[in-house]
Amino acid sequence: MVEEVSDFEALEIAVRELAIEKGLFTAEDHRRFTEFAEHIGPTPAARMVAKAWLDPEYKKQCLTDAIKASLAVGVDWLNPTGFGTPSDYTDLRVLEDTPTLHHVVVCTLCSCYPRPILGFQPEWYRTPNYRRRLVRWPRPVLAEFGLQLPPDVEIRVEDSNQKCRFIVMPVRPAGTEGWTEDQLTEIVTRDCLIGVALPKPGMTTNIPLPVHKPAKPGHH
Amino acid sequence: MSQHDRTHHAKIATGKGDPQCFKGTAGPAKFKVGQTVRIKDLPDVFYTRCQVYTRGAVGEVAVVTHESPAPEDEAWGHVDHSEWFYIVRFKQKDLWPEYPAAFANDTLQTEFSERWLEAV
Repeated sequence: MVEEVSDFEALEIAVRELAIEKGLFTAEDHRRFTEFAEHIGPTPAARMVAKAWLDPEYKKQCLTDAIKASLAVGVDWLNPTGFGTPSDYTDLRVLEDTPTLHHVVVCTLCSCYPRPILGFQPEWYRTPNYRRRLVRWPRPVLAEFGLQLPPDVEIRVEDSNQKCRFIVMPVRPAGTEGWTEDQLTEIVTRDCLIGVALPKPGMTTNIPLPVHKPAKPGHH
Repeated sequence: MSQHDRTHHAKIATGKGDPQCFKGTAGPAKFKVGQTVRIKDLPDVFYTRCQVYTRGAVGEVAVVTHESPAPEDEAWGHVDHSEWFYIVRFKQKDLWPEYPAAFANDTLQTEFSERWLEAV
């Protein structure tokens, strides 16, 4: 595959190198911030959903003041890195699914995403393909992700085009009765929080990937 | 050295958040939850966040979100005038003529600043 470097990537590198030369931050600061941002993982938002499934009072707070509710899962939107300014817009809304309502999030303008609580967007979330098609043909696009919902389930697309950021709170799946918060957190994957998948017992982001031995091992 | 202070906004938003830093600056909200509104088809110069697919469509205010300068102003560095923002809910069949009748319940929500809405 040929990797194309976009104008924006070239611009980012140029601005970053100039900022380092000017002494605004060091290459080490940049690496550390990148590491922080990339390791944020889906966990805080997943834990928020798991806690809300277990605690109706906390769920109420998630639905009315999600920025405050984020503190309980270790995310301070106003000071996410402990230094500097808010790194993203700070109005988080939690979209509650019901058995007859399913939410799915997109940003048709660019790729607005609740980064402080959900990490960086997956590559497909940024593609014009997803952004253009999801608003108009949500059911075929969700079917491509393997999610097919009956007609009596209303699909509600949330186009995140201003300063609000969104996560989906799926319905707690059957087969998770008596589970602990940690167990529930495991099954709320990133895609469930965007709304292109539903949580299922046994389906987690943390299971080890199967390793297939090569049929014809090469000799080096 | 640039003559523009590009960190001005970051300074006022620090510790408060954006859009929270504009709280209380837009006066009373013109529309309320449940109200039917039409999206105006206003001209836009170089920058807008009001998607073309919503222009002229009729929907219902789902959430009155917050106060903030409209992006059409903010893009030019004008943050003196705030507006209320609204999440509006549309029936998918009102946005896309070819949307399948079998899925008539499906909806779409997106957000607008007050200038884009008119009461129906």
